[in-house]
Amino acid sequence: MSRATRRRIGKGIQIALLVLFSVWTLAPIVWIVLSSVLPQAALTSTPPDIAIENFTLDNYRGIFGEDSELLIGLKNSAIVATLTALVSIALGSAAAYALARLSVPGGNRILLLVLATQMFPGIVVIIPLFIVLSRVGLTDTHLGLIIVYLSFVLPIVIWVMKGFFESIPVALERAAAVDGASTLQTFRLVVLPIAIPPLFATGVFAFIEAWNEFFFAVIIAQTNAKTAPVVLAEFSGQYVSLFGQMVAAAVVASIPVVVLAIVFRRFILRGFAEGAVKG
Amino acid sequence: MAEIELIGVEKRYGDVVVCSDVNLHIGDGEFLTLLGPSGCGKTTTLNMTAGLDEVTAGEIRMNGQVVNDLTPFERDVAMVFQNYALYPHMTVADNIGFTLKLRKFKKDEIKRRVDDVAEVLELSHVLDRLPRELSGGQQQRVALGRAVIRQPQVFLFDEPFSNLDAALRMRMRVEVKAMHQRLGITSIFVTHDQEEALSLSDRIAIMNGGKIEQIGTPEDVYSRPCSTYVARFIGSPQMDIMVGSIEDRGGRATYSVGSTSFEIPAGAAPSTHGAVDLGVRSEHIRIGQGGTPLKVIVVQPLGSETYVTLGDADLTFNLTARVPGMARYTPGDLLDVSFDPEGLLFFDRESGRRIEADGALA
Repeated sequence: MSRATRRRIGKGIQIALLVLFSVWTLAPIVWIVLSSVLPQAALTSTPPDIAIENFTLDNYRGIFGEDSELLIGLKNSAIVATLTALVSIALGSAAAYALARLSVPGGNRILLLVLATQMFPGIVVIIPLFIVLSRVGLTDTHLGLIIVYLSFVLPIVIWVMKGFFESIPVALERAAAVDGASTLQTFRLVVLPIAIPPLFATGVFAFIEAWNEFFFAVIIAQTNAKTAPVVLAEFSGQYVSLFGQMVAAAVVASIPVVVLAIVFRRFILRGFAEGAVKG
Repeated sequence: MAEIELIGVEKRYGDVVVCSDVNLHIGDGEFLTLLGPSGCGKTTTLNMTAGLDEVTAGEIRMNGQVVNDLTPFERDVAMVFQNYALYPHMTVADNIGFTLKLRKFKKDEIKRRVDDVAEVLELSHVLDRLPRELSGGQQQRVALGRAVIRQPQVFLFDEPFSNLDAALRMRMRVEVKAMHQRLGITSIFVTHDQEEALSLSDRIAIMNGGKIEQIGTPEDVYSRPCSTYVARFIGSPQMDIMVGSIEDRGGRATYSVGSTSFEIPAGAAPSTHGAVDLGVRSEHIRIGQGGTPLKVIVVQPLGSETYVTLGDADLTFNLTARVPGMARYTPGDLLDVSFDPEGLLFFDRESGRRIEADGALA
């Protein structure tokens, strides 16, 4: 077999694998989008009747009707996810910078402790957490959810940002010191502007985590602070399942995340690459 | 402008001593180089002088005032770093003007001074570019510009040319020397390149294991190295040091190494005899003017001169002589070798210190 043929076969296998992977990832999404624009009857017939004249926006009208639960859920999710993202990058980057650059007593132990919080499954902490939150009156509030979400996104933000800060040459900060910058000025004028890509990446990550989270939300915030995933689940009731509306709501709920990912794709890729690889 | 003194300066991290008992006096407007291999403590000494690393013991004074607890900014030093340390998100103009911006200079004043500096350093056409869009030489000049713009008391250079190729390094050397001659600002320059040190400095401090081994003018350290360490570190090709002994043969001093012996010119031998090391630089080795026959081992023509490496039959030692022009010798040739009397340096075997004519150690 000539070299060219071998290369062509290799290329063919590569493309086949990529196609397989794309189908594997995209098929459920396509299925959900299709389901959301088809009436239940067309969907449940075998094979599913996906003729273009069956397409309808009824499911979408249904979920955005009067007193739309979904709208309230989306609003709650937006508040909780945005604040989780903002607070986690503010606190996380400051903590990461301190751990990376300043001599923090017991710094390594703090880092391990931070990491250790990631090792407990949610089911283990949910009951004590619920008790604590209800004692301080934070169940079913935005703040309660934000605090819970911060506890599991902050460790990741801290670790990624610490890796990134350590990859910045120390000489840069020393140069700033020689130029006359205080520690705070160095952080604000030299380090932070360089750290924008990883900050965006970790911020988007925190947003998505908080936006998608279901388990804690369903237990801690059942009424007033109910988030979109909880509302989605409620479409599947004990007696009736509004499958069409549920998938329509799922499509709507995934739009912000998809938009975020597309808009910040460049930052996210660069951010995680820079955070992961030490320079 | 400033006069700098380091008095008994020490730096340790826990039990690890990086520098100890560093004593230096750098005169106003002087250009001093800290020279040594990596890990000898030269950069740490520079960082302590800058105020970037704290001293564990000792005092640093500038113009007589103790500055141990002052920040780099308060010491009014400017520094050029090994990897340039340019702010990657700022344009060239912002990089150069950053220090003035921090000092709250007016915008048009900053612009005027940045333009002036850029013109001198031939950076005017790249002021709007980011550092990553510049060549290595341009980046280095931006780093210089950032140091020059505020007319500091002291310039500190931390191996600024080590990332540049040989030709560029040569050019930057000329630029730095010209800049020092023009501005006359006290400068401390750290390098492991002995040629750089010799060509730039008023004085050189050679460091070894966190201590200063010798301080002197380039002429001093080259011609009168205080030890085999300095002798080997300075000069290219490296000084040849033979391990033999001085013997008295019928009233004439000879140096024996292996089965070979050289006659020591009258007056060149120290008063002590016995087992000592003999060092001689390539330019003090004479070929074909009588003396001891040695075999040619390797010939390296370099254009303007030729390095001829010679040795004895058992290869117990070798010597590299420098011959003008393109000398045509063939390996295996036998050549007579003798030494210039002023080029012979004797070293104590145990301590490595140079032995003066009166037998005392340098």
